Amino acid sequence: MITLNNVSKRYTTTTFGVRDLNFEIRDQEFLVIYGPSGAGKSTTLKLLAGIITPTGGDILRDGVSLLDVAPENRDMAMAFENYALYSHMSVRENLAFPLRAKGMSKKEIEERVEKTSRTLQITDLLDRRPGFLSGGQRQRVALGRAIIRPAGLYLLDEPIGHLDAKLRHRMRGELKAMSADMSATIVLVTTASREALALGDRIAILREGHLQQIGTPNEVYYQPVNEFVASFVGEPPMSFLSIEPKRDNGKLFFQIQDCMDCLEVPAQLASSLNGEKEDYRLGVRASEITVSSQKDAEHPVAGEVYIVEHMGYCNIISAKLGSGLVRVITDAAVAPKRRENIWLSLNAENMHLFFQGNAVQHPSSLRNSLNMNGEIMRAR
Amino acid sequence: MAAITLENVCKTYGNRVEAVRGISFEAKDGEFVALLGPSGCGKSSTMRMIAGLEEITRGTIYFDSKPVNDLRPRDRKVAMAFETYALYPTLTVYENLAFPLRSAGWEKEKVDAKVQEYAQLLELNRLLDRVPGDLSGGQAQRVGLARALVREPACFLLDEPISHLDTRQRHRMRQIIKRLHLEKGFTMIYVTHDQEEAMAMADRVVVMHEGVIRQIGAPAEIYRDPADEFVAGFVGEPPMNFLEGSPNLLDGQWMFQSGERQFALPGWMQVHGHQLPHNLIMGIRPFDVTVRTDSGTPYDAAGKVFVQENLCDYSIVAVDLSDVRFQVVTPTSFSVERHQPVYLKFDPVFMRFFDKETGKAITAPRD
Repeated sequence: MITLNNVSKRYTTTTFGVRDLNFEIRDQEFLVIYGPSGAGKSTTLKLLAGIITPTGGDILRDGVSLLDVAPENRDMAMAFENYALYSHMSVRENLAFPLRAKGMSKKEIEERVEKTSRTLQITDLLDRRPGFLSGGQRQRVALGRAIIRPAGLYLLDEPIGHLDAKLRHRMRGELKAMSADMSATIVLVTTASREALALGDRIAILREGHLQQIGTPNEVYYQPVNEFVASFVGEPPMSFLSIEPKRDNGKLFFQIQDCMDCLEVPAQLASSLNGEKEDYRLGVRASEITVSSQKDAEHPVAGEVYIVEHMGYCNIISAKLGSGLVRVITDAAVAPKRRENIWLSLNAENMHLFFQGNAVQHPSSLRNSLNMNGEIMRAR
Repeated sequence: MAAITLENVCKTYGNRVEAVRGISFEAKDGEFVALLGPSGCGKSSTMRMIAGLEEITRGTIYFDSKPVNDLRPRDRKVAMAFETYALYPTLTVYENLAFPLRSAGWEKEKVDAKVQEYAQLLELNRLLDRVPGDLSGGQAQRVGLARALVREPACFLLDEPISHLDTRQRHRMRQIIKRLHLEKGFTMIYVTHDQEEAMAMADRVVVMHEGVIRQIGAPAEIYRDPADEFVAGFVGEPPMNFLEGSPNLLDGQWMFQSGERQFALPGWMQVHGHQLPHNLIMGIRPFDVTVRTDSGTPYDAAGKVFVQENLCDYSIVAVDLSDVRFQVVTPTSFSVERHQPVYLKFDPVFMRFFDKETGKAITAPRD
């Protein structure tokens, strides 16, 4: 197990790569580090690899500090985002080089080159030099150079980000299978939501050098700790509505900003809200609600069609509610016109509630399915 | 506003590299057309010829019905936005937007009205006093688009404008660009390698590959009825599955025979069984395959689970058939283990067939 203990990397007096990172990388897990550019993802990988040293904190393996261990002695293999291939060597030699340096037998090297190149579909390219490869081919060779080596920990920096959709899907599957078969520990950096969800046993979400949340895909998807995680995990992203708690005839409602509609506040929440005008927002995923062309008990809230995106297997309708926009996924046959009114199945009980950016409630239906015992989750 | 017509347009670099090999299409006045294809397909060259940034080797480009081959870029009244957009670093967002208008000699009030209008459309209202250095990537992108647009061009050309943004920003920009188009009615040509962007925004998609057009159609059309195997595999996510085989007459019924597997060809193909090419490719989307763990009910193909990916909304199961790997979209409640035997059933309504030799889709002969 690798432990990051208050790890910081300060580049200049004011710019940090990462700040006070605290998390663990469990043996044999597939950990995805996910976040926008500038979040500190690559910095984290380089700190683990020992290419850069932290300015604060410690990195431990099974309780022993790694800081004094040279990169080549850390039993880690890294695939860099910028490929870093030897331009004067063929693909075959590029793959074999790290193995030869370790003194592996010729036969074993051949077997590994054969197996790795088959997995990555680069068998036809083995005799070419990197200069004669496309970006996507070079990226696969770079990935191959990392995974061909026996190592305790594989560090992969956006290893499939530049591949076309077809190949990316294929390679995503190969990485997942590889992690299952080799019982290797893998840390992979990505900026793609689907890749993070598909690959990770756990996902660590970074923003501006800070860890926001670490958890299984289901945890970060269904129980995001704050609006950032909620909006960043899942595609299309979660929609948010600004609301104001209001009391009417003793009953508590959420008034949607710049909108006539109100949502009844669920009973279990009512006691914890003080009814003042405060910074509350409701969040809902496009797949968690439905639309209807008419108002009915299930679809009480009106929205105006803003745009419709035709995705082939589904449509994504963006509906305007006051000053907010809510995305809904519908069947491809549902295609209302712009500015038409539609009715949404919004219900505060089935939405995520955030107070000043932090989650205070997740949908009760989802809570039940996750055995959270109906507890209201407190913001960190 | 203008309609844009390309007639047999070619682009050759040097005297060998044929980037664009005789393409013809029309973007109607006010239409949103996406040029979609993998890198090297000629989409950017095509757009640069429309903008006047590249010479047209052969063929003609018309704006409305006027040839523009010999017009300089600035006389074509097109606006173009690139992935990276150079903003004046010392000027505020407001000044960046006002600059092109002032230099065109606009009056102060008109400049202000136009800047405010575009600030509104691209959601820059709260950023007008900032300088570019204080903007996020997505914000700078929107300022770049606004600046390209304030002069209200006849046509708006965008080359991969949002491909480097993160998922959240990209979805936001999709909404903004699509709304911008609906509100202002510009003729728009949008170049992208990302089929999701093209599908989400465009009225029509022009799919290009190796310098030629493979298909022109509405998003739903190219998704449901791809003209050839390339379009079928390029559009849609996860990508379409393919299976090779041959038509085979069995007890009066035309079957699709693929190795040991066989299943009936759809009804409309039965009539034309004798005219079918010998080597066929069946294509079916991962959404149109069902997967079961029991072999009790009839199935079209049997295989073993390679991996399952759980995306929370849905899951993708990769299944190794003997010779090919299929992807199937399932609800997350469906859970399988690696190497577990599974059985696939294909929805006959959504099976598509291609001639293996030409790659062309097999369609019912028209009367």
